[in-house]
Amino acid sequence: MKKSVLLAAAAAVVLSAVGAQAQDFTIGLSNGWVGSEWRTQMIEEAQEAAKKWADKGVNVEVVVQSANVDVPGQIAHVRNFINQGVDAIIINPNSPTAFDPVFAQAKEAGILVISTDAEVSSPDAIYVGIDQTAWGAAGAKWLAETLGGKGEVVAINGVAGHPANEMRVAGYRSVFKDYPDIKVVNEVNANWDQAQGQQAMQNILATYPNINGVWVQDGMAAGAWRSIIDAGKTNDIAATGEIRKDFIDLWVENNLNSGASVNPPGVMASALNVAVLMLQGKELKQPATAGQYGNAMYLEIPFIDSSNVKEIHSQLEGKPGHYSYTHSLSIEEAEALFK
Amino acid sequence: MSASETTAASRSGIAGLVERFPFLPALVILIVLLALNGWFQPNSLGFRAITGLISTYLALMMLAVAQTYVVYSGDVDLSVGAILSLVNCAIVVLMERWGGGGGAVLAACAVGILTGLACGLLNGVVVAVLRLQAIVATFATSILFTGMALYVLPVAGTPAPTVYWRTYGGRFFEIPFVFYVVAALAIVLAIAVRARLTTQMLAVGDDAFKAFQSGLPVTAIRLKGYVLCGLFSALAALCITGDTASGDPLVGGAMTLYSVAAVVLGGTALSGGRGSVGGSVLGALIIGLISSFVFYVGTPSQWQNLVQGLAILLALMLGILVTRRVRA
Repeated sequence: MKKSVLLAAAAAVVLSAVGAQAQDFTIGLSNGWVGSEWRTQMIEEAQEAAKKWADKGVNVEVVVQSANVDVPGQIAHVRNFINQGVDAIIINPNSPTAFDPVFAQAKEAGILVISTDAEVSSPDAIYVGIDQTAWGAAGAKWLAETLGGKGEVVAINGVAGHPANEMRVAGYRSVFKDYPDIKVVNEVNANWDQAQGQQAMQNILATYPNINGVWVQDGMAAGAWRSIIDAGKTNDIAATGEIRKDFIDLWVENNLNSGASVNPPGVMASALNVAVLMLQGKELKQPATAGQYGNAMYLEIPFIDSSNVKEIHSQLEGKPGHYSYTHSLSIEEAEALFK
Repeated sequence: MSASETTAASRSGIAGLVERFPFLPALVILIVLLALNGWFQPNSLGFRAITGLISTYLALMMLAVAQTYVVYSGDVDLSVGAILSLVNCAIVVLMERWGGGGGAVLAACAVGILTGLACGLLNGVVVAVLRLQAIVATFATSILFTGMALYVLPVAGTPAPTVYWRTYGGRFFEIPFVFYVVAALAIVLAIAVRARLTTQMLAVGDDAFKAFQSGLPVTAIRLKGYVLCGLFSALAALCITGDTASGDPLVGGAMTLYSVAAVVLGGTALSGGRGSVGGSVLGALIIGLISSFVFYVGTPSQWQNLVQGLAILLALMLGILVTRRVRA
């Protein structure tokens, strides 16, 4: 008994000596909304990305707080991480502005803070993710070009007042402005809900039987396309799509005239790789100074259209229906961004 | 079965204590949770962590107090979160427009409180005077208030002046500002408990018809409950603005049902007639501690909502079982 205790103690000493040589980082992941599979996939991919660092001799421990919380609840997430003494916090924030004071406290405690998926105004954090404005613009550009720069278009938007939604709306408006013959005849809100998207589309088809194009986001696109297919207008309407396997199946089966900007759930994994490199003391070649808050580092936005949808369809073979097409920076790709 | 019918003197021991202080089960649960959190994460009992806990959940405490004043009379207010959002947006926009100085901050806070009172008055008129179902009517006004918040501030943004949130997060004589707020709240609530209005509200909640027959102005009492609710929702907005330093038209949406949960956790009956505001304050803290607890224990992410829900359910059941045994 005594011997085994001694052995264990010796092992612990050896292990901690090894640990001192290898790098150990604890990274806290905070997600304040669990209403979609996209968020679950986001966290799973980040956890996978952390494991890959083991090959490089870096031990990245990930601690996760993911639950439906209000803004104070997510501020509490951050405070819990501070109390726990993590090295970095990666957060998909419920509010763009509400975290300024608590991020300042995290920075004082020597913690690196990175937001992903939604930008934050805090000067004490950086954003690693896609530019939602460019995301909205990419879909609009595809739509405008597909329609030959001419036609009547409707937009189905997410939640009014939500920053990502407002940025995406600004994105498509800036594109359609350059096409004088594209008329946006109506803009409706369907709250990022597939069923509401489907209903909104039914209403639109009844009100504007002659529309040519639909700009619609995320899961609402699947709903809108159901209405278009039910109305037998598959060949008459071009509409943006989304990135879940279910929809891509539908897209390929019905040969839809669609194009989808990709907001990959891998953004948090990308942010994690960037975080580890920063914790190692490396410096970005291009400092994160983009975006409205001057603290953003934008990742590339993949695009799916008729040219690559078949290839992506076969890549997603065997995945569950709710699985989103994804992309993230590998460790090597992230390293290339640093000096 | 109201507090006035069974007097504390007729009971003995724990039963008597719970009868007199309906928040006792909540207090016990709170202490247990603090101990558990401290066990799993010693830092969580540190001064900084406790200060953080209070500054984070002060808004929910205020909101729970707000909710209690309508629940007393057997009503409910599903618009408290929306009032919070509206006041938050209004004061942040006004502070910016008026230059962000000390005077501007105070004036904006005053306007914010008036806004909360006006929202409460509207709710009161709709529910107590026009006799619409509280749950539906305040759900409708919550959409109205959210719409107004979106009109005032279409996208989350506009930072609050530094002087405002530095004060909220700062210290005076080495004691964090939020502790003074908690002390002030405690004093106000202690006085309010003895106020005649509280007893009247409880009487209405116990049996509105009897209260009416005994000559109480039931409509006016319920109306006052809603106005008080609006007032404390506005105070909650001042707190959230201090902790988040910005305006967000959707900030309060998710807080409404948490405020109801806090009220029930604190030992107040949703059917009205008995309870305590102090219990609701403890209930808000319990909700905060439970979510920290779920994390400190190391719950895997996919189980966190489930465990949090179970923990809240367990706390509710403990409180209700104790109260029921005492009252049986």
